[in-house]
Amino acid sequence: MSESPTDRTEAEIIASLSPEARVLLKRVLEIERGRLHLSAADTSAIEDIHTAVRGVLP
Amino acid sequence: MKLVSIELTNFRQFLGTQHFALATTEGRNVSLLFGANGAGKTTLLNAFTWALYGEMSQDVEEQVRIANDSAWRATRIGDSLDVSVTVTFEHEGHSFKAQRHAAIRKASEAQTRVTPDIQLWITENGESRLSDAPQRKIDSVLPKQLSRFFFFNGERIDKLVHRKAYAEVKQDIKTLLGLEQVERALEHLPKVERKFSNELRKLGGERAADIQGQIETQQDRLGQLRTSLQRELDEIAALTEDREGVVDLLRQHSEAGPLQRQLDEAETALVDARRMRDRHEAERMQVIATKGFLAFSGVLADRSSELAAELHQRGSLPAPIKREFVDSILEARKCICDTDLLPGSRALLAVEGWREKAGLAEVEGAWQRLSGQVSNLRDARAELRTRIQTLTGDVTSDRASIDRLEGQVSELREMVRQLPLEEVSRLEGRRQDLQSQIDTHNGHLGVVRRDVADAETQIEQLRGQLRAAEVGDEQAQTAKRRMELVQTVEETLKQILEIRSADMKQRLDTKVKAVFAKITVKPFYPELNDDFELSLLQRHEDGAILPVPKSTGENQILSLSFVAAVSELAREVSAERAREEGVHQDWGTYPIVMDAAFGSLDLNYQREVSRALAEMAPQMVVLVSKSQGQGQVLAELKPYVNHLGVIVSHSTNTAQDSETIELLGRDFPYIRTGADSNWAELLEVTNDSR
Repeated sequence: MSESPTDRTEAEIIASLSPEARVLLKRVLEIERGRLHLSAADTSAIEDIHTAVRGVLP
Repeated sequence: MKLVSIELTNFRQFLGTQHFALATTEGRNVSLLFGANGAGKTTLLNAFTWALYGEMSQDVEEQVRIANDSAWRATRIGDSLDVSVTVTFEHEGHSFKAQRHAAIRKASEAQTRVTPDIQLWITENGESRLSDAPQRKIDSVLPKQLSRFFFFNGERIDKLVHRKAYAEVKQDIKTLLGLEQVERALEHLPKVERKFSNELRKLGGERAADIQGQIETQQDRLGQLRTSLQRELDEIAALTEDREGVVDLLRQHSEAGPLQRQLDEAETALVDARRMRDRHEAERMQVIATKGFLAFSGVLADRSSELAAELHQRGSLPAPIKREFVDSILEARKCICDTDLLPGSRALLAVEGWREKAGLAEVEGAWQRLSGQVSNLRDARAELRTRIQTLTGDVTSDRASIDRLEGQVSELREMVRQLPLEEVSRLEGRRQDLQSQIDTHNGHLGVVRRDVADAETQIEQLRGQLRAAEVGDEQAQTAKRRMELVQTVEETLKQILEIRSADMKQRLDTKVKAVFAKITVKPFYPELNDDFELSLLQRHEDGAILPVPKSTGENQILSLSFVAAVSELAREVSAERAREEGVHQDWGTYPIVMDAAFGSLDLNYQREVSRALAEMAPQMVVLVSKSQGQGQVLAELKPYVNHLGVIVSHSTNTAQDSETIELLGRDFPYIRTGADSNWAELLEVTNDSR
């Protein structure tokens, strides 16, 4: 039987990630938070996330 | 966000420049303004949103006429009149001054629509600068779609949590509670993934690129399915709203009402019975899945016991002597009777003969344990039989209840339908029609959900294939690793969203209940479901929980409780994020500006609401009429009031007498009749003012 995600806490899920994944996760949320005042149709975040991934895995 | 002041210049009723201070001090977070009907309370409320977003609420009439009538009439044709609203506030350690201004050139006596401009000054470390993107900056402080939670008319607030508004409210709450950025990331990450898969394709990772292409096809399909899912949910919500409206009318009907209430009870009992049946069936399935093997263990246990009995009868078990003991004697070459065991001697042969009959301690030990477990096995088997019998009995009983209740519901519906009252017949017909449409959409919903699950499974399987696919050179491998990293973050965010949504919903539900319980005197309680939809329920003496047909006042209190709970939870979330992520704590902290807080409430509720008001937000601006705000309300709010004011209504009417309002033990103007023109004045009341 597969584990439901709510069986683990958010902290446990993040702790199980690789260091690169943790860094990217934090960066993605920062990028999106900085654009909340923009319309949901705005896609400038995509390019920034793409750049962030290349930064984490050069 | 903390409001510091507002200044209006020739804005609607307000003639000339009018200023009102709003800043709070420790323990005093309320600004309370009194105004007669039509004095300008709603205008003052809308001045905030006009300054910040250039918009007023839909209930404001003649929105084109933003200039004060007297000032406009006094302006000559060809000249300009300045109209502006300036709101100063603090946020994240900076001071802001937002001014929306229009210099309206008068071409005729009629006012026409204008496009005001917006300027925003930001002061930091004593230095002021003009923002290059003022509207964007204001939206980053308080997004426009969230403003309705913090600037609202108390008499219309129930529309905030009207069922048809749930989709928008749900989205707005998600922003406040930190969920929207996760949802947006989940929309954007698949597109980022595609960029890397295109790179992979160009770098020659054909197999991997091909699999990624299939993933993208499934993702497109998933996107369309989710849109369909949302459309079905919205349609069901709207139809359910309409159906509830019809049922409410039936409940209130003098003849159909009693029957409808019986029907409500029966339908609620039916839902509970179905839920109970599902639970018992699931439990039975679980027991069979985990312990069902015991049903086949009977032969094993019996045969093992028979074998042990035979061995016991033969004297083999327990063995009279242990092999380890015999081995030790043989090694010592001396028996316990002190006889030497010489090679070839009869004594040695006798002892060696015993060795064959001796039992191994290990085997004996294992047998002891096994025989214990055989006994446990029999007990567990008996327990399983009893448990399954009990659960089967429960399921049978549940099914009988369901049959009975379905019959009851059907009969009651028929009785309602057959009431010789045209109105009732029409309503019942409408209810049935709406229910039929809801059932149809629920059917569609089931199909779409199944397709969504299928698409998600396909994507998961394809991702597994992608991870296993080999790619050629180092560059292609890097592209593949980047793609997989994005997928990992996407999966993680899905889990985080599920956890946060469940947590936020539960916390919000708890807070709404707590705030509502402070205000209401009736035995009702609000409940928030997984879709953040709010309903008001009552638990009856027999344990039945039924929805409450809400009065206007109860709707208002429910909505106020919801707003207060959202505001409080947003602050908590903001503080948590500030600690964990370094986000500034001000995000999520907003004032509440409320017009007509007590409009539809009777005296009891007015007192309770006013008691709860000061705690609803870190800063409250409350606009009330004299009849609502004086007496108990003022008494409850007074300890928290930092700014007290009157919107004085100047009127050309000479038929009525002027009116005053008593505040701080003195009389202040409230309505001044016989004026030269009709206009409103903001008057701050202090111990020194006259």
